[in-house]
Amino acid sequence: MPTPLKLRRWKKAAVPWLFLAPALVVFTLFKYIPMVKGLDMSFYKVNFGAPWDWVGWDNFRRAAEDADLHAAVLHTAVYVFCTVLLSAILGFAMALLLEGPARHLRIIRTAIFLPAVTSAAVLAEIWRILLSPTPYGAVNTIIGWVGMVPAEFFDKPDQALGSLIAMATWKTIPYDMMIFLAGLSGVNRELYEAAAIDGANWLKRLWYVTIPSMRHAFVIVGVLGFIRGFRVFTEVYATTGGGPAGATEVIMTHVYKIGFVQFDYGYAAAVSFLVFAFTAIATTLFLMSQRQLGRGR
Amino acid sequence: MQQRKLIGRIRVSAPQAIAVVLAFAALAAFGAYGAEPATLKMWTRSGTDARAAWDALTAKFTEKSGIKVELFSATTDFEQRLARALASGDLPDVIINDTSSLGQFVALGVAAEIDRGSIEGSANISDRTWQGARAFDGKYYAVPFSVHPFVLFIRRDWRTKLGLPVPKTWADLQALSRAFAEKDPDGNGKADTYGLLVLGSVTRGYASWYLSTYLWQSGGDFVRDAGGGKFRGTLTEPQAANAVKYVRSFICVDKSAQPGAINAVPFDAVAGFRSGQAGIYLTGPWNIAVFDKEPGRDKFEVVAVPAGPVNADVLAEGDLAYIVKSSNNKAAAKAFVEFLISSEGQALGMNPTGSPLVRLAANTKVNASLVFKDPRWDVIQDAYVNHGHYMPNVPNWTAIRQLTAEGFNKLLANCNDNVEPGLKDLNDRLERELAKQQVLAK
Repeated sequence: MPTPLKLRRWKKAAVPWLFLAPALVVFTLFKYIPMVKGLDMSFYKVNFGAPWDWVGWDNFRRAAEDADLHAAVLHTAVYVFCTVLLSAILGFAMALLLEGPARHLRIIRTAIFLPAVTSAAVLAEIWRILLSPTPYGAVNTIIGWVGMVPAEFFDKPDQALGSLIAMATWKTIPYDMMIFLAGLSGVNRELYEAAAIDGANWLKRLWYVTIPSMRHAFVIVGVLGFIRGFRVFTEVYATTGGGPAGATEVIMTHVYKIGFVQFDYGYAAAVSFLVFAFTAIATTLFLMSQRQLGRGR
Repeated sequence: MQQRKLIGRIRVSAPQAIAVVLAFAALAAFGAYGAEPATLKMWTRSGTDARAAWDALTAKFTEKSGIKVELFSATTDFEQRLARALASGDLPDVIINDTSSLGQFVALGVAAEIDRGSIEGSANISDRTWQGARAFDGKYYAVPFSVHPFVLFIRRDWRTKLGLPVPKTWADLQALSRAFAEKDPDGNGKADTYGLLVLGSVTRGYASWYLSTYLWQSGGDFVRDAGGGKFRGTLTEPQAANAVKYVRSFICVDKSAQPGAINAVPFDAVAGFRSGQAGIYLTGPWNIAVFDKEPGRDKFEVVAVPAGPVNADVLAEGDLAYIVKSSNNKAAAKAFVEFLISSEGQALGMNPTGSPLVRLAANTKVNASLVFKDPRWDVIQDAYVNHGHYMPNVPNWTAIRQLTAEGFNKLLANCNDNVEPGLKDLNDRLERELAKQQVLAK
């Protein structure tokens, strides 16, 4: 028979869990169990309507030898690096331009945010029209005014990945901008005034006050961009499907083909798990290093 | 205090919550029990335009047999949905899908073996058509429901305006395509028209599907039977290089193929033909209904595919009705499939006023041009009977289709790459896949 005190303490401890319970149940059912099942699957050759064959580490060994996967990893890395960097720089610039409480700025900010909330498939279709590889395509008409020859964009192996990066950057800029805007509002105004009194010009204030105060915003933008970028699928699938000549094949389109075209679930699960492990470990290491850096200050 | 109150409230409401959960469970159980046991679940890879025809067909079957049919259709992500159903063991009783899925369905254990003789009306289906339902092991795993060959759609108004004949050879086709691209056939004063629509995308292996006709016409093939159920990859033959070079010339040399050909899927090509962007499309007859609406029935013609250097073969394929191995409703499934291939079912499936589910009837007793009241179907019938060429009968064609599509796409995209080394590399990949399927000739 527990004492009333013990019971009370137990109840107090249970409260947060009770609040978390609905989310935990949903996550367990739709995230954690499938993840564990996926990991389990990656050790098998999955047969349908028949027992699975245990293959041990074979699927992972295959991933180490799969030249197509390695090419896809390289494309994904280029895509992530360029998209995160470009959209962070441009998003930051936009945030600086559009910071402030004025009503017209709010309207512009809302308009600019639209790409971030539009479905990737719709954006892909719009960009395919914009980047039509004909002389009278929208973008080709514009670059024609400055005397450039029409580009082929998604149609040429050496331009397709670049076009994809441009599209993804365009979609991500407003998202990053919002995070930077939130970061900017947290910068201590007194620091600006102090810097101005010390005679710092606009650029110096940006470099010595704004950017250091917004370290957290940069970390968030970087980490989210990294995680999102590594599992990019819709943007690629709806524009090039991984072509031309495999120039835009990324990890997830490769996994899609293994899983849903060739029905090789075991190998697809193994590659997916490697992507998950890589992003989880890389993100954790990065955040830990940031924390160390923060403590060192 | 606030917390204690809250806990108190939760505790009081707990029995109520349990009661609600129990009530839901009871309802669910009742729902499951109350479901019609005779309902047949059928999946088909078709779009919303075909839905009305499927509804009419299944309603007729229900009327005759008393068996209800629960219909599900999807196009773009059909395979993906199927994969999910497979993984969760929740497959339907009958699946209608194209012939190229046969090997995969057999390998995955989806398709039940069919005793050809026991199917009512099986004698009305020709041997050639049954071929599409025969797997690598020589057994039948589906019942042919509809067949079709590839034919050529041409903008007749453009062709007659330029005073050019219907193309009969590869050279004619090339000349017509060039003329459409260069001579402003729509007369709008802009260089915005193109000739041949090429499907170069790797998605669903379209590039491979599209190029197969040219490959056979040049005397080449993907694989050749080496006897004893073994195959050899034959993309290193000069005929294969000829076919790839020919198609590539539309994109790289003449630039008469539509822009975006490299990533084009049928959806893009159909849009290109409808909108008057391009005027020649090598494809199956299901597009007739679509093109009759736009660009309009009087504006285009359906002709036999021009012959290649060696023969006039065209891709033949069709839709098969698969009875799912795990179905516990096989008798109803068999009755449904027998209805599908009956004269009545086939004629209903042709749906002359809308999107046809049956293109050419698998049942030889049903004549397409009579049902459709449209002589264009004679051209299609003739192409199937005299020049129809099925995809090679290997254990799993889908895997080969995907990898050859990737190889062809690469060669079409890189205009300066040499075709022969590219095909050599592709052939190596193809043979590795054959080895994986345990049918590579030593």
